[in-house]
Amino acid sequence: MAYFVELLINGALTGLMYSLVALGFVLIYKSAGVPNLAQGAVVMVAGYAVWLFLSWGLPVWLSIPAAMVTMFLFGLVVERLLLRRMVGQPVIMVVMLTLGLEILLRGLVPGILGSAPKSIDVGIGFAPVIIGDVFINRTSLVGGIVALLLVGASLLFFRTRLGTKLRAVSDDHISSWAVGISVERAIGISWGLAGIAAVVAGALWGSSQGVDWTLSMLLFPAIAVVILGGVDSIPGVVVGGLVVGILGSVIPGYLDSIVGGSTRDVVTSLIILLTIMVRPFGIFGREDIERI
Amino acid sequence: MTWMRRTALSAALVAGLAVQAPAEEVKFGLLQDFTAVYTFVTGQYNQGQRDYLTLINEEGGIDGNTFTAIVRDTGNQPQRGIEAYNRAKEEGAILFDFLSTPVSAAILDQAGADARVVITPAHGRGDASDGTVFPYIFPMFATYWAQAANLVEFMKTNGGGIEGKKIAIVHIDSPFGREPLPILDALAEQEGFEYQSFPYASPGNEQSSAWSEVRRYRPDFVLIWGAGGGQAVSVRTAIQNGIAPEQIHSVIWLAETDAANVGPQMKGVKRFEATASGTELPIIQRIQEKVIATGKGSGEEANVGNSYYNLGVATMAVAVEAARLGLEGGEPLTGETLKAGFEKIAGYDAEGLMPPITITAEDHQGGGAGRISEWDGEAWVPVSDWHAAYPELVRKVIEESAAHYGEGN
Repeated sequence: MAYFVELLINGALTGLMYSLVALGFVLIYKSAGVPNLAQGAVVMVAGYAVWLFLSWGLPVWLSIPAAMVTMFLFGLVVERLLLRRMVGQPVIMVVMLTLGLEILLRGLVPGILGSAPKSIDVGIGFAPVIIGDVFINRTSLVGGIVALLLVGASLLFFRTRLGTKLRAVSDDHISSWAVGISVERAIGISWGLAGIAAVVAGALWGSSQGVDWTLSMLLFPAIAVVILGGVDSIPGVVVGGLVVGILGSVIPGYLDSIVGGSTRDVVTSLIILLTIMVRPFGIFGREDIERI
Repeated sequence: MTWMRRTALSAALVAGLAVQAPAEEVKFGLLQDFTAVYTFVTGQYNQGQRDYLTLINEEGGIDGNTFTAIVRDTGNQPQRGIEAYNRAKEEGAILFDFLSTPVSAAILDQAGADARVVITPAHGRGDASDGTVFPYIFPMFATYWAQAANLVEFMKTNGGGIEGKKIAIVHIDSPFGREPLPILDALAEQEGFEYQSFPYASPGNEQSSAWSEVRRYRPDFVLIWGAGGGQAVSVRTAIQNGIAPEQIHSVIWLAETDAANVGPQMKGVKRFEATASGTELPIIQRIQEKVIATGKGSGEEANVGNSYYNLGVATMAVAVEAARLGLEGGEPLTGETLKAGFEKIAGYDAEGLMPPITITAEDHQGGGAGRISEWDGEAWVPVSDWHAAYPELVRKVIEESAAHYGEGN
């Protein structure tokens, strides 16, 4: 029983850490209506940004905010140079653009800053939290709490005046223009916000595994989270993350030693396939959303 | 000078010219993965390779022959690797190092047909060590099978015997991760221990469920078999599950960067190594003096002397030694003469950088020796001597697998 509970808790916390990556995806979709396949690479870039500030001697409490400012500006630049040209274009072209950006960043950034894994120490203790025979990963515990706080902040943001404008832009670019909302600015801000979420994800995942190109691989579980939760739903990020994380932990925990291989990616793939077949808009997604 | 002495000198000069091929530019194709799976090692490894070739050129080359590295990115993709291979072959490259198992596998047969040497140090097929089946492929250093055997032998001699003990092998779920399983089967049967494998999904950034299971298995020893960031995650998650660092033993892919990622808790973790690390080695000292200090280095100075840099240096040291031996016959250096040179290497240790290796027409692994080192908090410190463990058993597995390959071709 303790084994099951341990798999369950660590899986849930890992899932919430996937939610940090997924949140950036949803923020952009909810604000700009753009499915951002570059979010994994954005998390990687954010991890490199945190490492860079740490390597310049800044303390961690200053490095993370500095990386957030950097990534917000990075988001604005992406919008100005790439996304602005795509306003009003077919969504499939925007998807292809973000895919190209993912590939570009994954090669370019490690190429410039070094491809060997970089270490980030964000000050989270090494020892697990032990309850009976259940060992809980401390990094995942902190990551899970931070994810919930960030999701809560995002929910509050979309109730503000600016958040409402972003939702309007997501619904219809032309109508937003007609009522005087700057669509370009709104899309830029959404990319900037996704950059900030990416810093939290990059710092926490980077502290666990080091910063290298493999951070971009977090896109795959994050995609499963947003498909399950709904691509435009912020609460869906939490629920999707919990389900993806728990199933991705409990099922491999019992099956892997029997089948002799890792079943985690199979579980994640099945979640994606079954969700699209049974409930294409996800658990909390709006039914009228435009899908690709 | 008497007429006799003049005649003798002239004869010797003519004889010398007759056996020495004209000096030329020898090209090595270092077509590696700089942007995908092997990025954790390629930068430093390739830097070591290029710096060593620069050193040899600075010292006048081999009989006046200079060495040029053709460096290109394959992204670990066989298609790009084949394209890069063909291009470099057209440019005259006679030796290739892809540092990528899938790319090396894709080139395997073509390189044989083209009579081009492919070196596969610390990657590629283990059975390519059988030179009778793979005449142009040279693993040169201990294969994964030899590494696993060395690690198990270390557990046996330093862990109070291994009979009745339990080993957990936690590995990335890929052909590379499963590579040591056949030799572990054979060793378990011979030595009377049991082992269980615990795979985790690639790239290994999340392994908690595997390690929860490992903890309940209560292993005496743990073997981690991954690469890149996944290795740091393995060590961290193992320790978080109550496994002592001293119990953890790793494949060759665990370096200074991983130790930095794990932090002070890494102290006591062991790994297999095929080459020594550090800057005190004579060959590295020469590089520092003649390449780095003169501003001719190919990368960050901080990398000089680290594990993967030195591994890269060792690969080129062996390749240049093979070139030197290949030129002894007086013929120009080609794939064939370079291959012959490799097969003449005997007891070469690159001035203490690695164990003495002897390559023959049958054994392209070079004997399969290595040693175990331990992270002491600041550096990798050797805790065993250079030697090959269970050489007969490893050779048997190599020959069986190579024969199987031979039957399929």
